[in-house]
Amino acid sequence: MLKLNETPVRTAKNFRINNIEINEKIPTKIKEFKSLETICEDTKVRLTDNTSPIDLSYGLGNDLIEQVKENANVRIKAEINSKTNRELQFNFNFDNSNNNLIEDIEIDANEDTKETVIIKYVSREVDSYHNGIIRVNAKKNSNLTIVVVNLLNDNSNNFLSIQNNIEEEAKVNYCIVDFGGKNSITNYYSNIIGKNADNQLNTIYLGNKNQVFDLNYIAELRGEKSNVSIEVQGALKDNAKKNFKGTIDFKRGCKKATGNENENCMLLSDTAKSIALPMLLCSEEDVEGNHSSSAGKADGKELFYIMSRGFDYKAAMKLLVRARFNKILESIKNQALKNEILYEIDKRLD
Amino acid sequence: MAKTQVEEINRNIYDIRNKDNYDYKIKKGLTKEIIEEISKQKNDPDWMRDFRLKALEVYNSLELPTWGPDLSELDMNEIATYVRPKGKMASSWDDVPEDIKGTFDKLGIPEAEKESLAGVGAQYDSEVVYHSMKEDLIKQGVIYTDMETAVREYPEMVKEHFMKCVPVNDHKFVALHGAVWSGGSFVYVPKGVKVDIPLQSYFRLNSPESGQFEHTLIIVDEGASLHFIEGCSAPKYNKVNLHAGCVELFVKDGAYLRYSTIENWSKNMLNLNTKKALVGKNAQVDWVSGSFGSKISMLYPMSILNGENAKTEFTGISFAGKGQNLDNGFKVVHNAPNTSSVVNAKSISKNGGKCTYRSLVRITKNAPKSKSSVSCESLMLDDISVSDTIPTNDIETDEVEFSHEAKIGKISDKTIFYLMSRGMSEEDAKAMIVRGFAYPISKELPVEYAVEMNNLINLELEGAIG
Repeated sequence: MLKLNETPVRTAKNFRINNIEINEKIPTKIKEFKSLETICEDTKVRLTDNTSPIDLSYGLGNDLIEQVKENANVRIKAEINSKTNRELQFNFNFDNSNNNLIEDIEIDANEDTKETVIIKYVSREVDSYHNGIIRVNAKKNSNLTIVVVNLLNDNSNNFLSIQNNIEEEAKVNYCIVDFGGKNSITNYYSNIIGKNADNQLNTIYLGNKNQVFDLNYIAELRGEKSNVSIEVQGALKDNAKKNFKGTIDFKRGCKKATGNENENCMLLSDTAKSIALPMLLCSEEDVEGNHSSSAGKADGKELFYIMSRGFDYKAAMKLLVRARFNKILESIKNQALKNEILYEIDKRLD
Repeated sequence: MAKTQVEEINRNIYDIRNKDNYDYKIKKGLTKEIIEEISKQKNDPDWMRDFRLKALEVYNSLELPTWGPDLSELDMNEIATYVRPKGKMASSWDDVPEDIKGTFDKLGIPEAEKESLAGVGAQYDSEVVYHSMKEDLIKQGVIYTDMETAVREYPEMVKEHFMKCVPVNDHKFVALHGAVWSGGSFVYVPKGVKVDIPLQSYFRLNSPESGQFEHTLIIVDEGASLHFIEGCSAPKYNKVNLHAGCVELFVKDGAYLRYSTIENWSKNMLNLNTKKALVGKNAQVDWVSGSFGSKISMLYPMSILNGENAKTEFTGISFAGKGQNLDNGFKVVHNAPNTSSVVNAKSISKNGGKCTYRSLVRITKNAPKSKSSVSCESLMLDDISVSDTIPTNDIETDEVEFSHEAKIGKISDKTIFYLMSRGMSEEDAKAMIVRGFAYPISKELPVEYAVEMNNLINLELEGAIG
């Protein structure tokens, strides 16, 4: 039994949210992963496999972190030096020969740089195992957009730990599209350390069948006038289950910092389950923190309106889900990727 | 803008200490022999003695909570769990021993009884020293008495309900309560009877290094209604005192119960109280809660909405000052169709105090068409205090409307500036803003408690501009 994704602060055990236990074994025999496509438009990006030692403040859990430390079959260090926003893309395409990926990605954005990084995991037919760590160091006045897309199939396991260090005036914008895996467990941690540092995290998840999502997002604000915004939109059908744990932690000294967190779950069946734990921790007086969380089925009036325009129930429902996701999807500038995600939404809602 | 220096709270009347002048005090610790002795001292029937011993076994088998405030300073070997005050339970204040009556006089209980209450119970340490109720309610069949009398005189009703709403294995301190409980109130409101004027029980712990473990059992029968007020306080000692009471509320079909609490324990008190209500069809329970005292408080009243159309509202405020860690909140389980809950919680932290709002909203599969709305606001009055919000929302069915929102922050400089530009001092401006922040809660309190709360806010904010 794997016990993963502990919250930074525990609450009562019978609330069933402090961690997640899943009955899965970590594979031990790891072959090389050769099915990686790297697209780099930018000549000022330096790619090596020389990643620094892994030291995570949180992460999914020791077993998985140790596996990456010891047995990663892909290591990427991307050093960003570009000042114009170009695109760097890593596509991990799982197949029969490449069905176990354990990767360590380290992205260092140097001062005054700007870049978009897309990391995509796709397994159409093959049941896969993915355990990854993404580390981002955003130096002063850098501006990074990171898009993480999980399109693994529904029998796969997806484990991902993310850690960001965001310095003065730096901006890190994440867009996470979390659709695949029978278990998709994500730990996201941002150390927002610099003055005026900014972190936006936008996530969409879509679960069907017996999928389980466990999202543990932690943002610690340390810099003066720093900001974090977490927006999570999701939909669950069939017996899918989602745990959302979002923590905004205002540390002493982060004067005039702001933190906002919003999670919304659309329940598309009466057997889907949604648990949310949106936490605000505050040790600094001069801050502004807000969170909100909501859950429920599709709005009857909206459905009626769309159906009165000639759509059947399923098409109307798809439209409503896409409408929920659109604001976040709009932030993805790569049209081909956006189309792929939209196709996947349609397919998963069929 | 200059800071307001916040003074330590003046607890005036609450800190009056009487001499520890008891009739009997059990030795410190928690053993089978001690439980048997408590049972003997209280003349328990056999079933109750057996229940206590079983609860002790459960207590010993359970771990301390792995979450929330640090309880490591609690040493049950240093706590006397039963202290019987001098004198027998009286139905006239004249028959209550002078020093004890003096304390309740200063707390204003006899005065409030005359003016605005239909009945009063007063507990001093482990036993109820005074109980009385208006004649017309007795005639209507309302029962309001101490728990010991209820165990003796209404054994069937007590057996049917005692620790059925809060099972003894709920958590470690419920098990402790089951083993050593003493005192508390029993209320039964018969079918259809509306008790228009509130009943009030007041719990006072005077003895140092001791615990209070009162049990409150209220049954509001079908179509009946009641407003019950609970107040508690204690003087401050150097070593910890423990309060692990238990409140069980049975709100039957079509009934209404409002349960108001003002908790003003001393700042050496560990307040580990448990309160739960089972709510029937078309019934409603409303909680109004003010939490000001205690060194540590872990208090999460709970409503279980078992009947169709059952409703609950929680309105609560916590105010944590220096050295206080108030971990409070609310739990609700929607377990029937069309149920609804509304939660409005506020907290104020100052002078290094810590407030945590911890909650659970669970909407089960059995509860389609249910609605829940939670609002939670925290105010920080300085940069050495802490305020956390830890809500869990567990939704197991689709046909629901659920929303939760929370805000955290300080008093807006702009608002203070505006009020000061109208001629107010910074102190008055801040006090006005804090009173306004607390107003949605204080307006729900019985009037004498609302006045007390406003006075408390003024006292807390009194001080020089630094």
